[in-house]
Amino acid sequence: MSAALDLEDVRKVYRAGEGEVVALSHATLQVGEDEIVALLGPSGSGKTTLLSIAGGLLAATAGRVLVGGRDISGATPGELTRFRREQVGFVFQAVNLVPFLTARENLLVVDEIGGRRKGPESRARADRLLEELGLAHRAGNLPGQLSGGERQRVAIGRALMNEPRLVLVDEPTSALDTRTGTQVMELIRTEVKGRGTAAVIVTHDTRMTRWADRTLHIDDGVLSAVPAAGPEGGDAEA
Amino acid sequence: MTLAWREVRRARLRFGLLAGAVGLLIFLVLFVQGLTDDLVTQFVGAVRNQDAPVLVYGADARRNLEGSQITPAQAAAVARVPGVAESGPLGEGTFTMRAGGALVDAVLIGVDAGGPGLPATLVAGRLPEADGEAVASDRDRGDGFDVGDVVRVEPGGAPIRIVGRARDINYSVSPTLFTTFPTYEAARRIRNPDARAVNPSAIAVRPEAGVDPAALAARIDDEVEGVEALTRQQAADEAPGVSAVQQSFTVVNLLFYIAIPLVTGLFFIIVTLQKAGALTLLRAIGAPASVLVRALLVQVGGVLAAGAALAVVLLVAADALLGATGASVGVDLSARTVVVTLVIVVVLSLLTALAAVRRILAIDPIRATTGAGVSA
Repeated sequence: MSAALDLEDVRKVYRAGEGEVVALSHATLQVGEDEIVALLGPSGSGKTTLLSIAGGLLAATAGRVLVGGRDISGATPGELTRFRREQVGFVFQAVNLVPFLTARENLLVVDEIGGRRKGPESRARADRLLEELGLAHRAGNLPGQLSGGERQRVAIGRALMNEPRLVLVDEPTSALDTRTGTQVMELIRTEVKGRGTAAVIVTHDTRMTRWADRTLHIDDGVLSAVPAAGPEGGDAEA
Repeated sequence: MTLAWREVRRARLRFGLLAGAVGLLIFLVLFVQGLTDDLVTQFVGAVRNQDAPVLVYGADARRNLEGSQITPAQAAAVARVPGVAESGPLGEGTFTMRAGGALVDAVLIGVDAGGPGLPATLVAGRLPEADGEAVASDRDRGDGFDVGDVVRVEPGGAPIRIVGRARDINYSVSPTLFTTFPTYEAARRIRNPDARAVNPSAIAVRPEAGVDPAALAARIDDEVEGVEALTRQQAADEAPGVSAVQQSFTVVNLLFYIAIPLVTGLFFIIVTLQKAGALTLLRAIGAPASVLVRALLVQVGGVLAAGAALAVVLLVAADALLGATGASVGVDLSARTVVVTLVIVVVLSLLTALAAVRRILAIDPIRATTGAGVSA
C-alpha cells in the first residue's frame, strides 16, 4: 500500500532580488497510512511551506510530491483545487472557519463546494462528526459564539468531513491555553487514529509533539529527524 | 440553502439596506421616466394619437402647430402630390371654455369629419360626425369633458357636445377636444370676428396603400413650397419643448443609472474585501473560484430582484397617491419601459460587480496559511 504522503527531494526556492531564498531544501519524507508526524521548527524555518506543498497549496520548485500514491507535482491549479477538496483535510492556524456559517454549516460547506456527498448523507456525516467532537449542542452557533477550543474542534471536524487520506494541521494550539491545547491535540490524535488517517502537524511547541508517532525538525528548510517519545511511549523513527 | 443565501440570512440588515437603496434608486429612475412619458404624452398626445400618418406644417412654424398656418394654395398642392390618398385641414388653437361650470383653457383641434387627423384611441362614445360635436381626452372626463357634457367657447360660443372620449390625446398639457373643422373655425371667429378666412394650422395626410409615410413626407417637402411635412412620429418627437423636456429628464435619469451600479458594485467590493479571509479559506479547502463567483452573482441578482420588486411597489403607491391628490401629471409607464429599465440596471450592476469578481479570482489559497486575505 502506498504512503499517505511521499516527498521526494522537494525544493522550494523564492526569488529575492538578484538572489534566492531556499524555503525548503531537498526534503524527503514518507508518512504512513495512519501515521501522525509532528513537524517542529522555529518561525520561518519552512514548516508551513512544507505543509503547503504537501497540501497542494503551493507548487514545489523541484522534486516529487505524492499523496496517496498520486503525483501532484505537475498538477494544474484546477486539479490541485479538486485534490484539496477530495484528498486533504486542513486545519489552519489563522483563518479556520467561515464566520457567517454555523458550526454545522462549516462542515456542510465541504460537500456544498463540490464534495462527494449530497443532501441527507452530508448532513448525517456532519452531525455525526459534531457529536464525536462533543459539539452537537453547538451545531447552530456561529464561530463568533464559540470558544477558541470549540472553534478548533469545528475546524478538525471540517478537515475530516471529506474523509481525507491526509490531514494537515498548522499550529493548532498556538492561540489556545495549555489545557485547551492539550484537549485539541488529544482530539486530533483520537479522530485521526480512529479513522486510520495520516496527519502532519506543524508546531513550534515541543510539548505537543508527544501526540505524534514521529517528530521531525526543520530549520532553514532542512528536514531532520528528532527522537521523541510518542503517547504510547514508543520512539519516533528518524 | 446555498452559501450565498446563508450569508444573506446572517447579514439581513446589511443586504436589506442595499436592496432598499437599490429599490429606491430604481423607483426614482422609473418614476422620472414615467413622469417624462406622461408629460410628453400630455404635450403631444394629440399629435401622436391622431390617425394621419403625415402632418404638413408651415415651414416657418418650426414644427409648432400653434404657430403654423397653411394657405389654401398649399393645401391644394399637398393634395396633388402623388401618393397622397386623402388630405384634410387640421386647425389647432387654445380657447377659454366653460366646462363643468368653470372656465378653463382648452385646446380645440378641428379636422374634417371622417377625414384624416381624428383620434385613433377612442375609449368611449364615437367620433364627431356633425358640427358642434367633439371627442375629449379621457384624462379630462372628470372636469366637465365626459360623454354627454356640453362645453362652450367663451364668450358666447355655440355649444359643443362631447360625444366620445379618447386616450392620451391632450395637447400642450391642456384639456383637448377634437371637433369638426367648421366648429373650430367658428371658435376662431369668436376671437377674431373680422377674419376673412380661417386657415388650418396643418394638413393631415393619409398616404395611398403601400406608400411609406417618411418617403411621402420627403416628396411633399420637395414638391410644395413653404411647407414642412413630418411623419406622425417626427411631429410628436420633434415638437418644440418635447425634446428639451426629454433631454432634461434623460440627464437626471442618467445620473440615477450611474448611481445604481456604483452603489451595487461598491457594496459587493466592500463585502468581498471584508470576507476575504473566509473566501481564502474556502479556496484553500478546495472551493473552485467559479463556486464563489456564482455565490456573488446570486447575491447581486437577489439584491437587484428585491430592489426591483420594492421599486414596483413604490411606483404603484406613488401613482395611486398622485391619482388620489388629483395631480395634473401621473406616472405613464409601459411594461416595456419597466422591463428595459430593469434590464439596463441589471446589466450595469453586473458589470460593476465584475470588480468584486476580479477580487475573488485574485484570491491565492496559500494565504490561508498566513491569515492574509485576497491580494490587491
